[in-house]
Amino acid sequence: MTFVLYSPLLKTLYPEIFLGLVAFGMLMMGRRVHNRSVYSVLSIVSMFIAMMLLLAFDYGSTSFFGGAFVVNKFGLYFAIILLISSAYIAFSAGTRIEHDPEIFFAILLFVDIAMIIASFSLNLIFIFIAFEGISIGTYILSAHGKTRRNLEASAKYFFTGVIATGFIVMGSSFYYLSTGTFDLISGGTATIASKPALLLALIFLFVGFGFKLALVPLQQWAVDAYDGTDNAVSAFLSSGTKVLAFLVLLRVFLVGFAGLSNDVFYLFTIVSIITMTYGNFAALSETNFKRMLAYSSIAQAGYLILVLTVVSGSSSQLAFTLAIFAAMYYSLVYIFMKGGSFLASNAVNKDKIEIDDFSGIGLKSPLFAISLAIMLFALAGIPPTAGFFAKYYLFLALISGHLWYLAVIGILNSAISVFYYLKVVVVMFRPSEHEHFNLSKKVVIPVLIGAILSIALSFLIFGYPNISGIVSGLGIGV
Amino acid sequence: MFILYIFILLIIFAIISLFVKKQRWAVATAESAIILILTVIYALSRFYNYTGGLISTGSYPIDKSIGISFSYGIDGLSVALLFLTTVIMFVAIYMSKVESFDRRFFGLMLFTEVGLYGLLISRNFLFFYVFWEVIIIPVFVMIALFGGEGRERASLKFFVYTQIGSVLLLLSIMTLFAYYGSAYNVFTLNMSTLLNPAFITKEITDKVPFWTDFLLFGFFFAFLVKMPSFPLHSWLPDAYTVSPYPLTIVLSGAISLMGGYGFFGVLMPIAGVISPSVAWFIIGLGIFSLVYFALTAMFQTNTKKMMSYASAASMGFILIAFGDGLIATSINSFTSYAGGIYQILAHGLIMGLVFASLYLIKNRTGTDSNLSVSGLWRDLPYISGFFLAGVMASLGLPGLAGFISEASIVLSSYYVLGFIIFFIIFGMIITASYHVWAVQKTLNGPFTEKLGKLRDANASEILILSFLFILILLLGVYPNLFFAPILSFVKGVV
Repeated sequence: MTFVLYSPLLKTLYPEIFLGLVAFGMLMMGRRVHNRSVYSVLSIVSMFIAMMLLLAFDYGSTSFFGGAFVVNKFGLYFAIILLISSAYIAFSAGTRIEHDPEIFFAILLFVDIAMIIASFSLNLIFIFIAFEGISIGTYILSAHGKTRRNLEASAKYFFTGVIATGFIVMGSSFYYLSTGTFDLISGGTATIASKPALLLALIFLFVGFGFKLALVPLQQWAVDAYDGTDNAVSAFLSSGTKVLAFLVLLRVFLVGFAGLSNDVFYLFTIVSIITMTYGNFAALSETNFKRMLAYSSIAQAGYLILVLTVVSGSSSQLAFTLAIFAAMYYSLVYIFMKGGSFLASNAVNKDKIEIDDFSGIGLKSPLFAISLAIMLFALAGIPPTAGFFAKYYLFLALISGHLWYLAVIGILNSAISVFYYLKVVVVMFRPSEHEHFNLSKKVVIPVLIGAILSIALSFLIFGYPNISGIVSGLGIGV
Repeated sequence: MFILYIFILLIIFAIISLFVKKQRWAVATAESAIILILTVIYALSRFYNYTGGLISTGSYPIDKSIGISFSYGIDGLSVALLFLTTVIMFVAIYMSKVESFDRRFFGLMLFTEVGLYGLLISRNFLFFYVFWEVIIIPVFVMIALFGGEGRERASLKFFVYTQIGSVLLLLSIMTLFAYYGSAYNVFTLNMSTLLNPAFITKEITDKVPFWTDFLLFGFFFAFLVKMPSFPLHSWLPDAYTVSPYPLTIVLSGAISLMGGYGFFGVLMPIAGVISPSVAWFIIGLGIFSLVYFALTAMFQTNTKKMMSYASAASMGFILIAFGDGLIATSINSFTSYAGGIYQILAHGLIMGLVFASLYLIKNRTGTDSNLSVSGLWRDLPYISGFFLAGVMASLGLPGLAGFISEASIVLSSYYVLGFIIFFIIFGMIITASYHVWAVQKTLNGPFTEKLGKLRDANASEILILSFLFILILLLGVYPNLFFAPILSFVKGVV
């Protein structure tokens, strides 16, 4: 009889337990300590400790609850980059939160717990619970703030989000009806009892999970929510939660619907083409900075789900490995280039930030302007930034999978997107008399970190041989 | 190794220039001069007995599993273009003394040179592509920061156009990579390995013909945008006109070589897989560009814009040369290709001289318009003389560099084109007429008195302009200096 704390399952849950304890501790501290930097530092430190705990108790590949909770390197990778993304947000959130900082940061930690669980789950019930944990947390985060705009954005997000939740539940039950299990791995290979039910499950789950990733036609909430919430929250919504939603999408549709890979392929081909084209063309004519970034993140989601089309539509081992590697690498880079760009809007002291409001900032603080420019270059996929290498692997996977039309459409889209990203760069160096800039250290440093990482991460491509070994952790092979 | 050291030195120089505040012009000029001298020393020492093929090669593997390595190597084509790049960058930086630019300008100029140098020496497709893109960024920033009226629009247009070309180029590279990988289970991005007509014919054309068209389309599109050729040229007049003059010199002299380098460095080795119909299409585009741009240039009232179109028109010769080389056989094909490469070189130097002297005219008279200025011979004899020399070289006067290339292209293409050559001659006549007209308008006639007393070129300006002119003359009277290595290169590849 071993001591209960040493049981293998509990060991893997140490990070979650630790984060939960810290979060409750913070809520209790809230009565006495009102200094937001304290919470910010505390949450960053505890996130890093959680990362250590995750790494320290690495079991290779261990599964619990009959395969529902699988701890392997693939999930570990995503758990860690999600923690990094929330640490990045926690680092920069301190500037604009005016009241109850303990609630904001505690919720962030609760969301982290759900994120870690979600990145290891291979069961629809587990995924649903973790996903809801994240959703509820982000509803609260987006409502944090006293202005009407915050509440309006949060209400929109909440009401549409709840409908999406309903779709997930319905989809899961149809899935169970057809395959007889909630488990994704055995469900993917099970004999299909009813194909219509499984197709319904496909559509319902697509609506439910695609909502978070803001795929067209489920995108409209995202633009309003990103625009209306605090910059740090929009950064988190568009980077951390998006990456998580993407991971869940990979798991559910590639593993759980392995038997229907043809339908998955057509669904995501159509959706990705529409999503990236819509996002880019909508962004072209947008003059509001945050809305432009919101549309661009819709387009980026369109690129991301190209991974699903490659994996489901091609039988080549090379294409599979490259696609999953692209998914992992793109997610990591995306957190910094997108999150950093959203955080850059902190520099303008206004509610509705127009692109023209950035004019003259390049002359006031070249460091800030160059950093933002680097992140925008990365989003546009221009070498030598990491954003280029992310796209490079993605399109290499498409070409290796012989999906030339998707590669052409995707890459032309990314060439068009250059226009609206660079418009910001050009405007930043336009001489003007604007005085509404806030270029304090707390604003510039997160942007600078994002820019440095947007370049430095390109050295990670040298890790391809190592990373390519763990792609099988997704749950399927070719 | 030597060439790699020059490249590393250039990167260091570029970084230094970004931070030097005082004496920034002197520092940047000295740096570009050092690079020029070192490159010339390298070329003289290694290309003395050049017999074709790739020399001074080297490779540093970075990620073997997907074929990324920093490989470099020089051949007859890239050495000629390296020479052109370093000369043009030196002239452009030297000429920027006329106005005072800040340190960012010099840093960005040298970074443009880094990109061009890297593009010309790298033999790995990933680095080829990265440098291809890296060149665009500093040019874009320079147009956006230092350009004239309408700079934001012009810079964005420039970037988006070239970006659309670049991404298609990237897809073509990926296609080669993926097919080579699946055929031989070797992942490589080495240019010499992938640009192998036998491999493309066997593994792609015979199995899935579509993918050959796909990859050729990407290459052609990217290079035609950069050239620029007829339907893809609309970024050119904006970018050239809006840019500050030193940048216009770089754009017309050095950036324009990228398209030509693509044609002769990437597509010429795989000429075997390009079908004759494509070659005829390229010739047609070339002739049409030549005539169309010449006619457009004729109606410009702005000399800078007119010369931009003249630059685009003479790029048409490169397309004709390339298409002709694809169809012609043996010696005609060699002459045509070599003439095309020589045209890149000659065109760069000539446009350098034209825009450099125009810069001085603009600086003295304050306008680019050729309607409001005339009779400059009286006050500006030296500047006018150099402008006239540049214009004469541009219209292909025998004895100057442009004549050699145009003559060899026209002569060798006669065997393929037959009577169609009339259209080329027609284009050349139009070219001659508007060139002469520009000279007549601005230099001859009564002096525009309201300009007041003008100051002619000073000693340093005369020095740099005569440096360019002597080079053009040298290439015109002793073409073998460059024609020989270029011809050996062409013979080695075809």
